[in-house]
Amino acid sequence: MRKTYLVLATLLLAGMLLAACGGAATPAPAEEAKPFRVAVVMPSAINDLAFSQSMYDALSAIQAEKGEENFQFAYSDGLFVVDDAAAAIRDYASQGYDLVIAHGSQYGSSLVEIAPDFPETSFAWGTTVDTFADQGVTNVFAYEARSEQGGYVNGVMAAKLSESGIIGVVGPIETGDAKLYVEGFKAGVAATDPQAEVRVNWIGSFSDVALASEAAQTHINAGADVLTGTAQMVTGAIGVAKERGVLWFGTQSDQTSLSPEIVVANQVYHWEVVLNQMIDLIESGTLGGQAFAIDLANGGEVITYNPDFDLPAEVRSLAEDTVKGIADGSITITLP
Amino acid sequence: MLTSAPHRIQRVELRDIVKRFPGVLANDHVNFEVQAGEVHALLGENGAGKTTLMRILYGLYQPDEGQILIDSRPVTIESPADSIRHGIGMIHQHFMLVPSLSVAANVALGLRSTREPLLDLEVVKERVRQLAEAYSMLVDPDAMLWQLAVGEQQRVEILKSLYRGAALLILDEPTAVLTPQEVEEFFVTLRRMADEGHALIFISHKLHEVLSISDRVTVLRNGQVVKTLKTADTNRQELARLMVGREVLLRVKRKPVQLGPPRLVIQDLWALGDKGLPAVRGVSLEVRAGEILGIAGVSGNGQRELAQTLAGLRKATQGRVLIDGDDVTGWAPDRLIAQGLSYIPEERMEDGVIRDMTVEENMMLEDHGRPPFARGIFLNFSAIAEHCDRLIGDFEIKTPSRRTPLGNLSGGNIQKLILARSLSRTPSVLIASQPTRGVDIGSTEYIHQRLIAQREQGTATVLISEDLDEVRNLSDRIAVMYEGRIMGIVERDEATVEQLGLMMAGVPMEEAAGQTG
Amino acid sequence: MIQDLLAPAVLIGIASSGIRLATPYLYATIGETFGQLSGVLNLGVEGIMLMGAYSGFYVTFKTGNPVLGLLAAIVVGGLMGLGMAIISVTFQAEQGISGIGVYLFGLGMSDLLFQKSLGTVETVSGFQPVEIPFLSQIPVLGQIFFRHNLLVYAAFLLVPVAWFVINKTTWGLKIQAVGQNPAAADALGVSVSAVRYATVTLGGVLSGIAGASLSIGLLNVFQQNLTSGMGFIAVALVYFGGWSPVGVLLGSLLFSLVNALQNWVQVLGIPIPSDFAVMMPYVLTILALVFAVRKVTQPAALTKPFERGEG
Ligand SMILES: Nc1ncnc2c1ncn2[C@@H]1O[C@H](COP(=O)(O)OP(=O)(O)O)[C@@H](O)[C@H]1O
Ligand SMILES: [Mg+2]
Repeated sequence: MRKTYLVLATLLLAGMLLAACGGAATPAPAEEAKPFRVAVVMPSAINDLAFSQSMYDALSAIQAEKGEENFQFAYSDGLFVVDDAAAAIRDYASQGYDLVIAHGSQYGSSLVEIAPDFPETSFAWGTTVDTFADQGVTNVFAYEARSEQGGYVNGVMAAKLSESGIIGVVGPIETGDAKLYVEGFKAGVAATDPQAEVRVNWIGSFSDVALASEAAQTHINAGADVLTGTAQMVTGAIGVAKERGVLWFGTQSDQTSLSPEIVVANQVYHWEVVLNQMIDLIESGTLGGQAFAIDLANGGEVITYNPDFDLPAEVRSLAEDTVKGIADGSITITLP
Repeated sequence: MLTSAPHRIQRVELRDIVKRFPGVLANDHVNFEVQAGEVHALLGENGAGKTTLMRILYGLYQPDEGQILIDSRPVTIESPADSIRHGIGMIHQHFMLVPSLSVAANVALGLRSTREPLLDLEVVKERVRQLAEAYSMLVDPDAMLWQLAVGEQQRVEILKSLYRGAALLILDEPTAVLTPQEVEEFFVTLRRMADEGHALIFISHKLHEVLSISDRVTVLRNGQVVKTLKTADTNRQELARLMVGREVLLRVKRKPVQLGPPRLVIQDLWALGDKGLPAVRGVSLEVRAGEILGIAGVSGNGQRELAQTLAGLRKATQGRVLIDGDDVTGWAPDRLIAQGLSYIPEERMEDGVIRDMTVEENMMLEDHGRPPFARGIFLNFSAIAEHCDRLIGDFEIKTPSRRTPLGNLSGGNIQKLILARSLSRTPSVLIASQPTRGVDIGSTEYIHQRLIAQREQGTATVLISEDLDEVRNLSDRIAVMYEGRIMGIVERDEATVEQLGLMMAGVPMEEAAGQTG
Repeated sequence: MIQDLLAPAVLIGIASSGIRLATPYLYATIGETFGQLSGVLNLGVEGIMLMGAYSGFYVTFKTGNPVLGLLAAIVVGGLMGLGMAIISVTFQAEQGISGIGVYLFGLGMSDLLFQKSLGTVETVSGFQPVEIPFLSQIPVLGQIFFRHNLLVYAAFLLVPVAWFVINKTTWGLKIQAVGQNPAAADALGVSVSAVRYATVTLGGVLSGIAGASLSIGLLNVFQQNLTSGMGFIAVALVYFGGWSPVGVLLGSLLFSLVNALQNWVQVLGIPIPSDFAVMMPYVLTILALVFAVRKVTQPAALTKPFERGEG
């Protein structure tokens, strides 16, 4: 018996700590006017400088704009195990949140089972275009990032800055947001310097920092002098880029702080653009069924330039023109 | 490796030792004494408390009461390390050896090295060779332990203790794993050690061994000392009576029985052991109605696998088994039972009964689905109760009631229950595997009588036992098994211990007969 | 395309990348080998690595001195190993479950501390590559073997040291005996608990260093779940390596070199789907395990708590 208790205690302690990693960003004050309450479940850490952080930053921005008394959010991060995420989604839904966001493509199959059980609650799932409307689900919004647009802009700059004509990409798994970004990046390079070669290494993991770092080493050993990459494990690649003195283009969040010496520019997501649209719809009684996208035109995607990096003015203006062109439709990106 | 300077113990005394386990008084004010130069036998049935007493002396258990004195000085022994320091060594019933290490490494384990922290196995090997020679116990110090035969492993155990300068050696049922010839060699070694001034405690429940090796005997029963006597002043009958607490038949009477046709026929049977290597290798046997065929052999020579294959618990890889002319090779246990086969398993607590179920339920494990105990899908409780009560009476099973959980019964009574279950069905073929191992003499006597009596019902019995005396007493013919093969089959009246012993060590029958004839 | 893989620069790149990737596995597998040889399966390696990675990183971040960071990782790893020993040796808890408990604790605790103390991904300057004089100038070999950080060299030196300790010292003999037949060791006066405490704690120390070899050696960053399953692969590699330091060295190198190779396969644009490429290390390791002729059997007392008087 004693043993059983001990094991149980260990597990509980561990569970408690895990749970403590998430938690409410604001203590919910007992207020008269009911604030809008959002909960989000994310696969990696809120400070991953990538996918999860982009959502956390967006929710923080909305809160700063609307005020804590009108807008509150809670989150659970680091839920790379889908079953854990499903449990968290169900918990939040049963706690009466107005909007529960499943921030990760891998959560879809869980969400389609959970959402019908909570018809009063609105859910959002990204990144995807599927609202499960064809399965009769009416309370799920879909959102995605047109990440190929920022990828294209990064690609244009990368082609201009590469001297060796070899550009390396460190990607996680060839799907979804990452795949879209990489395709856009390749298109941008090809449009700017058809001679340049883009080499892609999918490392098969969103979290294996060590392998990402070796992937970057491999690219550089093979002649690359400009790198980009997507998802939270790229911190390993950025470290190598810094050590070996090659340039880096970021995406999802602003990664400049990691290596101000070599980060050129980032495509930064501002999910608040689509989140605000969803909130408006929910408040007017529509709980789902629509798909949203952030892009350069609606301001959901922004290119940030590292102020410490000496980007030639000519490249900078080319980049800015490209952004404008994509936004107004004069540049179209053809994906394979 | 340094061994402690060889010193002599003149006298070790255990005074008023009491040891309780939950629900058991294993040692009840036991007084015991052993002196340098003698072999002192500790005799008692299974469960009498012999091992417990010795584990206390060796520091593996702490006594609840009582005192240990070495050369008249009280000592506390809290761990084996303490007892080793006092010059006590113990050869355990189950060997305490590490199979993956060499002989020398097994000896060196736990000792300080001359080059601490580095090992000095060369020094150890040299000293092991010297000791082995001095006591004529041939062992190769470089051999890996798993390569050694059981007898050799035992020598390693003894060398381990001698190496540590043990002046008192405790031997817990050391002969259980030896062939009769090995026992003789072993006794020579023990004698030599005693003559050199070692004190030896020899634990056994075999009367003739105690009589042949010891100087004194202490008999233990139910945790209490019955008596200590000089071996020269006693005999088998007296020792048996002291051990069991009443007169016992040492030899069962056998009425001659008319043998019928062969009921069990085994043809070139092969089966794999647990490690995937052939354990039964081409066994062919025939057992006739009314006959007991004994299978003797040192444990681990394929007897267990043979029994399991016959009982349908292990797959035959080759060969055939016929019961009353029907080919039953590969049949599942339930079909075999229906065909009239009964099996008394070696691992009775695992394969034979279910601890947490009642006596009654265990009794009905095989037959609950058949009339008169079942009517359709319903159990006929009154028929079951009547049947159980009769068997409990017939087989002298000591149990408070048929509703008692089986786990509360003693080993002997559990075995009687299994026997009752098997025999009440009047089986055509009975496979009895180690039917009396760990069973007290009283129950053993009873089980033997029933097996003998069963012959009259025309049952063909295969009796597998490592106890050579048991096999010789009960069997009509004796087959000896060695490394999965039958070395030969000897008629009851022609079998000598010497010949069987040689066959158990792998000598073919004709040769063995020649050597002893 | 395929022949590009045979270019000297590529081969050198694969070899030196494999050596870097093998480093954390070496520490973790050798530590786990000690524990398992003595009969304790610690599935918590991953959690201990994370805590070692975090504490090494944090102390280096605060002090700027990676040696102090390494010490922190050693202490924290040792304490977690000690915790596992208390649970599994003294309280005799089911080892598989308590190991998972240690993992979850390490995963959660390292992240919690990271969020509270750093709040965002930071970088440090950890152990820098040290070119060994003369040796690093040897063509090819110098590039492959002698241009790494100190933790890499130490990991490889650990292999012969561990081999020696296990096979040539009295302590190593006790470890093997305790893992194979604890009752026998006990009967000869060897303290089974003391040996297991020592090996499991040592395993913790080495797992801690394994984590630090990432956070202040190879990567110089810390983030949530930095080790991403390496600790579990390490436990598998101990089985692969047949509980011998040389075996786990081969396993770690095989796994890491194939990983390095598949990186090059992708970078050189050899047309193999990336999904297959990333599976190569796992598939090849399993194949090697299946087809290699093996005589070793696992320590007989692995996962079995020892209590005197059962035998
Ligand atoms: N570790 C133990 N726990 C509980 N009961 C035990 C233990 N060891 C022995 N016993 C019980 O004590 C009694 C004496 O056992 P033991 O000393 O092994 O007898 P022997 O060696 O004479 O066969 C038996 O009833 C046995 O079941
Ligand atoms: Mg005993």
